[in-house]
Amino acid sequence: MPKIDVNKRIFQKLYGKNISQEALEEVFPCAKAEFDGEEGDFIKVELNDTNRPDLWSTPGLARQLSSYVKGKTYSYDFFSTPKKPLDCEGREFVIDASRPDARPYSVGFCVTGKKLDDDTLKLLIDFQEKMHSNYGRKRKSISMGLYRSDRIDFPVIYKGADPKKNSFAPLHEDHEMTLEEVLDNTEKGKEFGHLIAGWKKFPYLVDSSGKTLSMPPIINSNDVGALQVGDSSIFIEINGQYLKQVLLAANIFACDFADLGFKVLPCKTIFPEETEFGKEITVPFYFQEKRLCPKADLEALLGTGISLDKAAECLGKMGVKSQVRAKGIVAFPPEYRNDFLAASDVAEDVAIGFGLNNFKKEMLTDFTVGRLSPAEEFNRKVQKILIGLGFSEMIFNYLSSEKEYIGNMLVSGEDAVRIQNAMNLNYKVVRPSIIPSLLKSESQSGQAVYPHRIFETGKTCVRDDNTVTGTRTDDSVGILECSASANLNNCVSVLNSFMYYLNLAYELKECDDPRFISGRCAKVMVSGEQAGILGEVNPQVLENFGITYPSFAIELDTVRLRK
Amino acid sequence: MIDVRNLHPLEIRLLLGFKEGEKFDNEEIEKRCSFNPGHANQAVSWTLSKNLISKVSSETIVSYELSDIGRDALVKGMIARRIISLVAKAGVSIADLPKLLEEDQKSIGSDFALLKKAGILSVTPDKKIELNENHEIPRYVVVVESLLKRGAEGPVMDLDLSEEERAEMQKVSKKRGSDAFFRTIERDHSVYCLTDEGVAAGIELKKEHITGDEIGEVTKDLLESGDWHGKRFRAYDVEHVPVSKLLVARENPYSAFIRSIKDKLVAMGFEEFDGGLVENEFWNGDALFMPQFHPARDIHDVYYIENPSHSKKIDEPYLTNVANVHENGKGANSKGWEYPFDRQFSLRNLLRSQGTVLSAHQLTKAKVPSRYFGVVRCFRYDQVDATHGSDFYQTEGIVLGDDVNLKNLLGLLEMFAKEIAGAKEIKYVPGYFPFTEPSVEVHIKHPVLGWFELGGSGIFRKEVTAPLGIKCPVLAWGLGIDRMALMNLGLNDIRELFTGNIENVRLRRG
Repeated sequence: MPKIDVNKRIFQKLYGKNISQEALEEVFPCAKAEFDGEEGDFIKVELNDTNRPDLWSTPGLARQLSSYVKGKTYSYDFFSTPKKPLDCEGREFVIDASRPDARPYSVGFCVTGKKLDDDTLKLLIDFQEKMHSNYGRKRKSISMGLYRSDRIDFPVIYKGADPKKNSFAPLHEDHEMTLEEVLDNTEKGKEFGHLIAGWKKFPYLVDSSGKTLSMPPIINSNDVGALQVGDSSIFIEINGQYLKQVLLAANIFACDFADLGFKVLPCKTIFPEETEFGKEITVPFYFQEKRLCPKADLEALLGTGISLDKAAECLGKMGVKSQVRAKGIVAFPPEYRNDFLAASDVAEDVAIGFGLNNFKKEMLTDFTVGRLSPAEEFNRKVQKILIGLGFSEMIFNYLSSEKEYIGNMLVSGEDAVRIQNAMNLNYKVVRPSIIPSLLKSESQSGQAVYPHRIFETGKTCVRDDNTVTGTRTDDSVGILECSASANLNNCVSVLNSFMYYLNLAYELKECDDPRFISGRCAKVMVSGEQAGILGEVNPQVLENFGITYPSFAIELDTVRLRK
Repeated sequence: MIDVRNLHPLEIRLLLGFKEGEKFDNEEIEKRCSFNPGHANQAVSWTLSKNLISKVSSETIVSYELSDIGRDALVKGMIARRIISLVAKAGVSIADLPKLLEEDQKSIGSDFALLKKAGILSVTPDKKIELNENHEIPRYVVVVESLLKRGAEGPVMDLDLSEEERAEMQKVSKKRGSDAFFRTIERDHSVYCLTDEGVAAGIELKKEHITGDEIGEVTKDLLESGDWHGKRFRAYDVEHVPVSKLLVARENPYSAFIRSIKDKLVAMGFEEFDGGLVENEFWNGDALFMPQFHPARDIHDVYYIENPSHSKKIDEPYLTNVANVHENGKGANSKGWEYPFDRQFSLRNLLRSQGTVLSAHQLTKAKVPSRYFGVVRCFRYDQVDATHGSDFYQTEGIVLGDDVNLKNLLGLLEMFAKEIAGAKEIKYVPGYFPFTEPSVEVHIKHPVLGWFELGGSGIFRKEVTAPLGIKCPVLAWGLGIDRMALMNLGLNDIRELFTGNIENVRLRRG
């Protein structure tokens, strides 16, 4: 979830009046926002809707709250539509056919009319970061740059460039380096270089006189790309994998600039081939389609009681224009939103505008029978028997290290399920057996009065070629006793009582297993099939866990026992 | 006034054994009450500590016990006497003495010197020993010999010794060590009498007909023989019975908490579901209409399985239905996410990161109407700390019904808040989940924890239900129970819920 810093001064100015923190917290839910603390000039806010990047900036949040609380409406005159492109006064952005296929889209526009101050510059950079890290998935799907447009000779060109043959001075560097060197020699290059490393041609943004704007998605140039306080003409460029995403990001930025008092100047983006919106797109560009929410759908989701007129009023509070028709309500999504996928998205905005706490709560009327799963029913039986036999119930985590689950247990680990991207080697393996969990527990409990008798009913997971995922999750019970008399006789006695109360016949079949002492280990057979294993724990295993009490362990597959 | 019923039989018999003003010592107690010395000691020590008797006087009695070498000297005779007898028979040289006496030079030396000094012996120039005329046995020899003889009959009391005897005794007796004829024993001898409280207790005992012969332990023999008939049972100090810690087997408090949650959900008409730990991207994300480019589907959010890295297949028609709904919303009256769906990506194996996966699986086999729930283990790529575990439980469920809507969802959340969390105040705020629209978070004011988010919920998007073959609305909900679990168990670190410490489990209350 993105967390943003809302600049109090700018927010106050945009919202139009002073609002207390309590009052803010009261209305935050309409933006799925949560107050997360205060720090100097900033209010920290967490935004829960990953589909509403328009809310991740001070102007965007102020816009939503103003609509909701004060009914303020916003209209922007700088949006082109497929049928009505605005005049760009010669500002053109050419997408060259040579640009990398994996990052085919780039769009841009200009703003002017106001000098950038400290607060605004920080706000823009913060927002850019949020867009990069979250909506842009750490610049993988979206990245953007801000440039000093008074230094640009239009048209701007987005192309693919040979990493070895092209060079420029990246931001905060005074000397030129090749595109390839930028990846190795700059901080941003090291952080994001993996996104383009190995590409034959790197994404490259230049102007018509050959000045470098940036090497997306890595870094701006130190000249045209070094935006400063006092600048009043800015070119905004957004590039990425998907056209609608880059257009949406451009629209959000444009609305924010407009709200902050800038004049937005459209720019014509010319693609080398047809896109879903044609070959030429004038940006900012309104591409949303109206969305009908039929009355039946509205009532199916929200229940009856909200008239279509009321629904339209609710949508208005959310900043969404709409029209009431015979069939239902038609919503016209704002330029900065792309989250109206279906009727349910319209219904949700109606519900929020109506106020969730204003709905009548109704109980479910269908009769249904509740029941525990057969596995849970059986586990409860097992738990009661074992507690009666003097064993305390434990519950353990399912992830641990290679050492604990495999090395210490002297097993091969070939059937173990491992995590590829483990954050920490302590959580690398999914447990193939409950026994190591029990032994680890014992190793942490030397202070507890002996004897120690513990068990757990839980899941284990191993590889299994016969399943779709190639793994199998079992319901198991593991039993461990550590005491001066934890020998095979007592072990089998415990099993015998356990099976007696489950009313199950069993046989023991001697076997060799490195976890147990040879000649003191057996498979537990139920109806001719192996249902588990038991034995005196191998002293080497005990030593590996730092245990100095004799121990026996039993592990049974409860799915098998239930059959 | 002491409750005489709580007195021990030894105390009772002592108190009843003596009269007011009478003086007595341990020996007298043993005789009068038929106690052995141990019992007498216990009776004295207990009644003293309760101020029922007091010490009238106390003195130290010194006595001397014959040691092993004293006994030896008595049999063989003292060295001095043996030297005289030997010399009297024949001329003996000094060098021969140890051999003839079968003693070492050291033990002979001092006696020999004393005899020489007393003029009983003399040594010739050629080192022969001669017995002088008119010699007498030295006085100390006579005295010590008589003491040895007395010692052989029993401890010699210091009180019985003459001045001369006492002086000699002190030379041949030691408190410690075994190299003297006697061991000096010092013993305290005290004389007691009943205090006023002791006298009063005796009177009370008689009044209550307590004799000290009351039955202590009720034994099997006693019951079989019927000997208890007509007898009284000794009373305990019931309010202060000393206790010992019992070693018991316990159910795990966290597991028990989870079971209680399951029981409550079953009581509300929910049927439990469960499933495997390993899922694939399809069920963990795609089927829940999370776009494949969703930020929460990053390598830094879920744990991928190393091997096998991919599932073999995704069942149809689900794969195609879900792919379509992502790409263009087909079948769900939606525009979808508008991106090319990657079917290979869907096969990627991972550890279940959210319980909702099981709701998605359940939809493929759900009845209408129905209610399902699961309390299931989930895994996230998180730094493990006091609020994040490597794996943790999520409580999730769904409600299917032809007419279920937002009002029912709010009613259901209200029921959870009251029945499961004991909440008095509840509020609902809009939430966001990729798979539900509308989405609602329920916040409650807990009696102890204050306001917190109890859970997230919503109505499954058609983009989720339609591809899995469900035509009716589906309410989906998830509850965060761990904060309540921590509070119930008096913990503030989520890792403690899975403690390996056996003592923590055996001793934890609640």
